[in-house]
Amino acid sequence: MLHTKIIDLTKEKIEIFNAEKFIASSKCGASIYFIGTVRDLNNDKKVTGITYDSHDALVIKSFEEIYQESKGKFKFENSAVFIEHVKGHVKLGETSIIIAVACKHRAQAYDLSRFIIEEIKKRTPIWKKEHYENKDSEWLKGNPIKSS
Amino acid sequence: MKIKLELFGASREFSEKNYLEFSLKEKSSINDLRNEILSFIDKNFKGNNNFKKLVESSKFCSEENNIVADSYKITKDQKIGIIPPIGGG
Repeated sequence: MLHTKIIDLTKEKIEIFNAEKFIASSKCGASIYFIGTVRDLNNDKKVTGITYDSHDALVIKSFEEIYQESKGKFKFENSAVFIEHVKGHVKLGETSIIIAVACKHRAQAYDLSRFIIEEIKKRTPIWKKEHYENKDSEWLKGNPIKSS
Repeated sequence: MKIKLELFGASREFSEKNYLEFSLKEKSSINDLRNEILSFIDKNFKGNNNFKKLVESSKFCSEENNIVADSYKITKDQKIGIIPPIGGG
């Protein structure tokens, strides 16, 4: 069971309760919530916020591919995966991504959650423009996209 | 052929719009498009080295939302996305 969405912050908020609602199941004994937030320091620069840009169609496609691959790799029964990523401006401490997974057992949930975030980092076309205390801003360099 | 190049990430600095437009010869490849973009940078940004590196390290996405190789032949007018190195999450 999979839910994916890009949250356009000009229209709506990213909310943890949507993840809780989606993955709730009496068949699962373990739930993991990974929440990515904007931190205050990067490369010795004081960060005040990040603007996220995304290729929406490719992002959703990559989430679906990662989910399908995880099913083949782990073969967990009755797992649920919820992935939402924001686009737009995010202030310090605010949420950029929620990955929620529910599995039968805790080891499965940890493995699945870790796999999803690591694959997103490698192959999901999202870009960050950091904004700094001195009013400068810059696009982060990133890594070439890994195609599936 | 007319190509509408959709800009993402750092490539958004190439234009105040969200896209650039290029005219390519029939059966041009992604590599030809990349060279056109590099010429655009030479002409409009005095060969800005960071911009050129960005183009050289970018991938491209077809209208069907597939990442395509440099040898991919563009056969019709279409939108193509430039996919600079990524860093989400």
